[in-house]
Amino acid sequence: MLALKLLPQLLAWTATALLLLRAFSGRRLATAYAAGAGFLGGTAALAVVPGALLYDMVRGFLGAAFLLLWGVSVVVLYQSNRREGASGVRFLNRAPLCGAVALVCGLIAGATCACRLGSGAAGQLLTPLLLAVAGCALVAAALYAERLLSPRITVTPAGLLAALVALALFASSFLIRVDLFAPLSMKVMKGTHDFVHQFMESVLIPDHIFVRQVVWGYIGIFFSKDVGFWGGMVIWFTPVCLLLLAIRLQRLPKVSHIRQGAQRRQVIARAIKERNLRLAVPGFALAVLIAAAYQSQHPTVEYWDPKPLQLTANAAGEIFIPRKGEVNLEDGKLHKYLFKQGEREARFFVLMAPNGKLTVDLDACAICKPDGYGQTEGTLICYYCKTLIPLETIGMTGGCNPVPVQFADTPDGVRLNAASLLNSWGQTIQSTTRPKEGGK
Amino acid sequence: MAAATIETSALTRSYGEICALKPIDLLVPEGEWLSVMGHSGSGKSTLMNLVGGLDRPSGGALKVGGKDLLALSEDGLARFRREYVGIIFQQHHLVPYLSAVENVMLAQYFHSTPDEAEARNALERVGLGHRLKNRPGELSGGEQQRVCIARAIINSPKLLLGDEPTGNLDHKSTMMVMELLKELRAEERFTVVMVTHNQEVAAWGDRTIYLDDGVLVREERTRC
Ligand SMILES: Nc1ncnc2c1ncn2[C@@H]1O[C@H](COP(=O)(O)OP(=O)(O)O)[C@@H](O)[C@H]1O
Ligand SMILES: [Mg+2]
Repeated sequence: MLALKLLPQLLAWTATALLLLRAFSGRRLATAYAAGAGFLGGTAALAVVPGALLYDMVRGFLGAAFLLLWGVSVVVLYQSNRREGASGVRFLNRAPLCGAVALVCGLIAGATCACRLGSGAAGQLLTPLLLAVAGCALVAAALYAERLLSPRITVTPAGLLAALVALALFASSFLIRVDLFAPLSMKVMKGTHDFVHQFMESVLIPDHIFVRQVVWGYIGIFFSKDVGFWGGMVIWFTPVCLLLLAIRLQRLPKVSHIRQGAQRRQVIARAIKERNLRLAVPGFALAVLIAAAYQSQHPTVEYWDPKPLQLTANAAGEIFIPRKGEVNLEDGKLHKYLFKQGEREARFFVLMAPNGKLTVDLDACAICKPDGYGQTEGTLICYYCKTLIPLETIGMTGGCNPVPVQFADTPDGVRLNAASLLNSWGQTIQSTTRPKEGGK
Repeated sequence: MAAATIETSALTRSYGEICALKPIDLLVPEGEWLSVMGHSGSGKSTLMNLVGGLDRPSGGALKVGGKDLLALSEDGLARFRREYVGIIFQQHHLVPYLSAVENVMLAQYFHSTPDEAEARNALERVGLGHRLKNRPGELSGGEQQRVCIARAIINSPKLLLGDEPTGNLDHKSTMMVMELLKELRAEERFTVVMVTHNQEVAAWGDRTIYLDDGVLVREERTRC
């Protein structure tokens, strides 16, 4: 069960170890030790670092690594038309460098696995221990398997970086809290919306009737959900594509001095073959990134997504929900309710925050369409924009946080005013269900 | 004496009961043009196939270009064929739906990578500069055989094998092909081993050996 849950992460870790060993083939043992130690450290972080911080650290590091990959890919493309392609390979076998890279990779992989185990495992000893042992065993296995890998597959520094980052992103794409692709596409979407909005308002108010029609006809594209997805895709895949392009653009050796045609062709054929082999590692990285993006779009995390229970108010216009009635309000889970009165209705939820206080909030925020929230991995997730809201912040206003509802917290349960609930829902919905491009 | 291009000792090849090649000792020095004669079924093609790496001997030792062909792996043998030998057969074995230049480029492709300019150049050298785009079916027998020569020499082989290359040609075409081979050999300095039934063709070589029922029965120098 546990092994199955961690299978993608452990697979990615094995591939990472293989890559490291092949790239640092001059220092296999040192690399293996460093990688194993890193993995142990990453696993141990579960016990040492408080949950939320661990998630933030992993995600922050992945983001930084991705940015580094962007920078490196641009530089590599810039240098691609130089004749000597394999520069920097010697630089790969410096002991401190292999050690450091392997250690960091191990830390991240270990921490990602630890995050996957979840904070529930923090108190336990056995599970993290098993994980640590498995991680080190996989390094040992990779040490053996690397010898079986075709000796012609070589790893350039940039290719190594691309594959390592891709594998780390793949491993993290299974965890909604450290996944990078979903927030990336969300940022793109929000950024585009803001930009188009500002631009329209301040620079180019289309006054002419024709201009107005044409502009409004196309502007919808920028407000659709797809813009975030496709923009995210572009940012996601560009660095590896640049690397592949850079390799493809590497110039073939000069052959004009070789007089015999057969010999000349042989030199060229060999160079082309080597170049194609160099595409293998970045190509692998591309495939892994595709898998990561797919995984991010189709999360397998288990959502806690309860069906709203229907409620009625008493004669005084008061809704009462008992603490320990049909449902246990204090179990830390999201409990959704639907209140209907004639034509009007309101959806809200009751949740006990980690600090032990009950909160009551609308199942909607002030920004997004009211698709509602689900609960997963210590957060609520907005089904519309996929924003994660840490449970600690539920009950606060602003952003994509659910809109808090006034209520009375009594020893026997929660009491709310039906009329103000309906009003609050109505106001919130009114401003978010109107289509954005409705200016037309 | 020049180094040996072909060196066999007690080389044999049998097909089950049939012994196509009895133990044979042969030494062909680098740069020699050797003619091979004999009746049908005397083992000439068998010998050529062994020397060209198309077939494996049943016994004995066989060194070509300093390489022990018996010790080579399948990959090694394929590489040897690609890089060391050029072969011309009686049946031309050209790909019927490819043009002359494409047929030559195919040989380049299997060797390393195609180079059209070089392939054109090779066809011009064999006097087919005006028939580059024609398919084998649109060429005469002599022209087809010249495409085969262009194809055989395109990868600069050290050893050119011919298994009755002029067997299907009339006298005039035969003489043209022989003249061409002589010119090319003068430029490229490859060793030639050529099977023929034609005494006149055999006379173009430096030496002729005679096979009979798989046995080397006689050899004679054509000229000094
Ligand atoms: N693949 C084969 N299987 C069985 N017998 C063969 C095979 N190839 C050749 N032979 C036999 O080996 C002998 C020599 O054939 P070959 O070398 O083709 O003769 P040549 O080229 O001198 O006419 C012949 O008796 C022939 O029947
Ligand atoms: Mg024959």
